[in-house]
Formats: sequence, C-alpha cells, structure tokens
Amino acid sequence: MSTATKDKLILNKKNSLRYDLTKNAFAYRAIIPYVVFILVLVVYPVVQNIIISFQANGTWSLANYLDVLFDPLFHLITINTIIWTVSCVVLDLLVGLGLALLLNQDIKGGAVFRTIILVIPWATPDIVAAVAWKWMYNDMYGVLNDILMKLGIIDEYLPWLAVPNLARLAVIIANVWKGFAVSAMFYLAALQTVPQELYEAAAMDGANSWQRFTKVTIPVIRPYIITTVMLTIIWTINYFPLIFTMTNGGPANATDTFVTYAYRLAFRFLDFSHSTAVSNLNFIIVFTVAIIYTLSLVGKEE
Amino acid sequence: MRKGFVYVLMVFLLVFAASSMVVAAGEKLTVWVGGHVVEEEDTWKEIISDFTKQTGIEVEYQLIGFEVYYDKLVAAYSAGQGPDVCFADLGGWVPTFAAQGWLEPLDDRLATSDATEQIWPNLWPTVTYEGKRYGLPWYTDCRLLLYNTKMFTDAGLDPQKPPVTWDDLLATAQKLTDESKKIYGYGVTGAKSETATLAYMIYLYGAGGEFLTEDYSKAAFNTPEGLEALKFYTDLFVQYKVSPPGTLSYTEDDYRTMMAQNKVAMAIGGPWSFPLIEMANPEIKGNYAVAIHPYKATPASVLGGWASVISKTSTQKDAAWKFVDFITSYDVWMKWVEENGGPMPTRQDVCKDAPTFQADPKWQVIFETFPYAKVRPPIPQYPQISDQIQTMIQNVLSGQDTAENAIQKAEEEVNKLLAK
Repeated sequence: MSTATKDKLILNKKNSLRYDLTKNAFAYRAIIPYVVFILVLVVYPVVQNIIISFQANGTWSLANYLDVLFDPLFHLITINTIIWTVSCVVLDLLVGLGLALLLNQDIKGGAVFRTIILVIPWATPDIVAAVAWKWMYNDMYGVLNDILMKLGIIDEYLPWLAVPNLARLAVIIANVWKGFAVSAMFYLAALQTVPQELYEAAAMDGANSWQRFTKVTIPVIRPYIITTVMLTIIWTINYFPLIFTMTNGGPANATDTFVTYAYRLAFRFLDFSHSTAVSNLNFIIVFTVAIIYTLSLVGKEE
Repeated sequence: MRKGFVYVLMVFLLVFAASSMVVAAGEKLTVWVGGHVVEEEDTWKEIISDFTKQTGIEVEYQLIGFEVYYDKLVAAYSAGQGPDVCFADLGGWVPTFAAQGWLEPLDDRLATSDATEQIWPNLWPTVTYEGKRYGLPWYTDCRLLLYNTKMFTDAGLDPQKPPVTWDDLLATAQKLTDESKKIYGYGVTGAKSETATLAYMIYLYGAGGEFLTEDYSKAAFNTPEGLEALKFYTDLFVQYKVSPPGTLSYTEDDYRTMMAQNKVAMAIGGPWSFPLIEMANPEIKGNYAVAIHPYKATPASVLGGWASVISKTSTQKDAAWKFVDFITSYDVWMKWVEENGGPMPTRQDVCKDAPTFQADPKWQVIFETFPYAKVRPPIPQYPQISDQIQTMIQNVLSGQDTAENAIQKAEEEVNKLLAK
C-alpha cells in the first residue's frame, strides 16, 4: 500500500460519522443541552407555527394566507412596517455613524461621553423608555411640547400620539433614540480599525476631510456598515414593546406593524391561524434579510 | 461512555424533579386573581387563610396585574395548564374561554349555592355560553359620569346638578372648557382600547339604540340612533373641542388622572375610580362625584366586573367550587367591603346591608344606575367586534372618515365576524 492510499483511507475514516462520533464524543455531549433547548424553544414552535398557519376548517389550505393578503388592513400594516423599518434603519445609520465619528476623536473625557451617550438609551428597559417617551409627547404637560414651544418652533401643543402621521413620527423618533446607541457602538469599533497611516497618506495627497471620509473611512468600514444595517433591519421589524406601549398600534392603525398585528390576532382575538400566517410572512421577510446578511459575510471571508 | 450516561441521567433527573415539583404543587388548589382587587393583598391573604382553616384545603394563589393577566391566562389554558380557579373579566372572557373548551360548566353547582339568587340578574348573561353558565360573578361595576365638583364651582356651575341630557352635557362642557388654560370639560375616550368601545355603547344605548341583534347574529348599531350617538360622541372632540387635543391617545384612566389635577372636569368612570383618583391626588377627596351618564332617550350604562371560573382540566373541581362559593358568601363579602370599601359586590344583599355603602351617596347613585347597565355581547367574537368599533371611533375622531362611512364599514366588518 502506498502512503497516498493509506492517507486516503485515514481520511475516509476521518470523514465517517462513526469515527466522528467517537472522536468528538465529549464535544457532542457538551452541546446536547443547547441542542435540546434550541429544539424545544425554537424548532418546535416554528414548526408548529407553520403547521397552524396552513390549516383552516380542519384541512390543509392556503385560506389563512389569502385572507391576510387580501385584507386592506394588512396592506396598511405593510406600508406602516415599511415606513417604520426604513426610517428607523436610515436614521440609526446616520445618527449612529455621525455620533461614532464624533466620539472617535481624541478628546478629554472621551470615555465618559461614550458611556453616557451610548449606554444610557441602550440600557434603558424597553417599557421604561416607552412610558417615558409617552409622557414626553403628552399634549397637556409633555416636556417636548414645552421645549418646542419655548424655542418658538410650534405655536401650540401638538397631540403627538393622537394624529396618525405625527404618531408614526413619534414612535420612529423614540425608536431611533433607543436604537442608535447600538449602531454607534458598532461603528465606533469599526472606526478604530481604520489605520491612521491611510489618513496620513491621503492627507499628504491633498485630500480634504470630506474626501478622507468618503475615500478612506467608508471603504474600510463598509463591511461593518452592511452588517449593522442588516441587524438593525431585523431588530426593527421585530421590535414590539415600544409601539405596543406607546400607541398600541393606534391612532387609526397608523402605527400597527406586523408584530403588533400578529400579537393582537393571537392574544386578543385568539385567532391563532391568521396570527401565525402574519408572523410567517414576517418571518419570510426577516429570513430573506438574514440570508443576504449571511451570504455577505461568507463572501467577505472568501 | 459511562460518564456520558451518568450525565444524561442527571439531566433527566433534574428535569423530572422540576416537573414533579409542578405536580406536587398541583395538589394544592391553584387560584389566579386578576383585576383591580389584586391590590388588596392583605385581605386576600386573610380570606384564603380563613378558607384553609375552615376546609383544610391548601391554596396556592397568585395576584396578577391586569396588563399581563390575560396573556398569561391564555398561554396557560392553551397549554392545558390553567389554574383550578381564576378570575375572568365579564367583558366577554367567559364565553371566549368556554368556546375554546377551557372551562367547566357550573349549572349544577350553582343550584346548590345561596349566592346564586342574590346575584344581580343582569350579570348572568356575561357568564353564559350556549345556554350553560360557566362562572359565578364576584364583583361588578357600571360606568357612570365621574366629575370634578370643584371645577364645576369654579366655572359657576352647581355641582349638585350634573348634566342629565346630551344637550346639558355639551352646554356644561363648553362652559367648563378653557383652552387657554388647557382645561377641558369632558374627556372623550379615543385611544385604541376597550374603554372606547364602552363609551360608544353608553351613548348608543343612551340614544335608544342597540348594539347587536338579540340573538347576537348581526350588528344592530347602524341605525339613525347609532349614527347620532357616534356623531355626537365624536363631535364633542371634532366640532366642539371640549376634549383635549390628544383625545386619540387617551383612555378613561388618563382622564381620571387629569381630573385629579383639575384639568378635565367630566369623564366616564365608575366605582373603581374612587381609590385611584384619590391616589393620583389626595386633595381631590370630597371634590368629585358621580351621576348617571347623560343620555338622549333613556338612562344607560355598561357593566363590567369579574367572575370566578373553574378550569375544565382541574383535577380538584370540588375543592375549586368550595373556594368559589366561599369567596362569594355573604360573610366574606361583608368583611371585604368593611375592609376595603369596594368594589361593588355582585350580591344584592351585601350592596344593601353594608354600612360603608349606606353612608356614601356615590354608592347610592351606582346602585340606582346598575339596573340600567347592559352586558357586553357574551360571544367569543366580542374582542374582534370591539376592535372594529375602536377603529370606527378613531377613524372619525382623526378625520380620516365620515361618521356615515365609518359606521357602515364597521357594520360590514362586524357582520362578517358574526357570520363566521
């Protein structure tokens, strides 16, 4: 037997399941609890969800999906979800990146600023943040109205959460406040990977600060931006407590999104079949985003 | 390998230990209490220890805040793990749960209880589903006009003479409203919440309208009376502006808080509002009163409250019934009222006999109003119907739709739901 065939045999042996199981038995035992948890807490509900959504009147059917897709309320909710997700993600990106750029400068007490600006919104529990914003938006004694009035921006107190478009804006602002911190943290970390030499070289070539930003910073941190945006999209679509607490989907369904609607169908109306249909449609969207995200990561590795 | 088995065995033992602990706990009677009464923790403790002393039945009880109570119950019942006894809101929970097969019918047991004939008769439909009774109402309430007497006096109005008709209501509210000071005469419930539906019902019934047909098979509110009720109710905000600009984001609870701060003079409230308004501002004590809500054709109100129900899957239904019967007994209720002053018992004898009630004119107004109070449709589709009514109200309040269109749409949607 030549050495080559011998190696091949060993390789074959190494690839066999049995060998793998014996060789890595300890590792497999170690992950059993996690596998069990994932099966019970993730896989089982997802499968159950899919089964329920395809059942109507005791048989398999697409009725639930068709009902949902042809419901005008669902169209409004889809528009709401798009407005909510796109605005939040874009603003998170702009505010987060802008703030990261500011915090990336070498200034005295930089660490303190970072902690205060980045950690406080992010660490505030969802419900606390939602209730606080609700009070700030209040049309009778809200602090926001008071400030805007004193600045002369508005003439009278605005009922922020009571007018459909204002309410949309109000929940988006609140969510950006809550969410920009995470984005900013990611971008700050990214900015610190940009080698100083590149800036120096660019400066020597006569690039001004805007050119340095677009030609040096952006290309280097591009992968981080893509990753963060993907994650923000997923988080924002699925973000429930803020809207639920602030407006409960109102006024006139202006702030209803997929998740608040699915919640209402399941827990208020006990209409599990339509609720699962809505959440599966939501799942497909999030899943698509996640696939793109994963592919972009794989692409980067290669 | 052996080590591996030991490991797996240990995990299994752990899991079994945990689940057998649940079984052991199941031998005690599990009771879940929700609603406003959960704040009376000490009284519950006392009542339950009295029960255990008398019957030897151990009770494991949980007092659960309203915000999470419904979700928790639904989750537990759908998993087949419902508590032996729990409180269910009279706003349609009992028929909804009964339709899912989660509750035990109680007719035979009710026949043996002295509470049964003392219960206010208009409460029974709330716990009835397809001809069977599934619960014993425990406490109740009805909606009234809650108003701030100090604001009445300040505006030169007689606090002894609250508005009686819709016209009075509008005139009074206009006199009380002072937009420059952010003071408003009447709070129109406009947020997407159950209380908006209830408000519309009070106006609808007050105009002489009906909500659904008698057999609950069709909507009955798209009539001249129903439209008039919707128009008048929404115009209080849209046209007359006697309600704050943020009306679409406010519920009864918000207005009650504003009333405590002398910002809103009138709103819908009920007996549960008394401790809460005083909690919001202790100085309001003695400066608020209740009256039958203003009406057009006939006095009207909507009732609410809670009933005790027994889970279908309970393994100790006899003990569960003993508990239900015990907490609804005359003595326990008299003691409860003496200690807490409220809420309103479902037993007429206690309402009549309790000294606390006899001394307070507010309670006399409540007892006077109660016979006019109607139940919410006790049908499983009710939550969805209510959602349609809320959408209708919000669409008119926000100016997105006319009252005529909105009521038409709501009727169609409600009929669709009822046809299912």
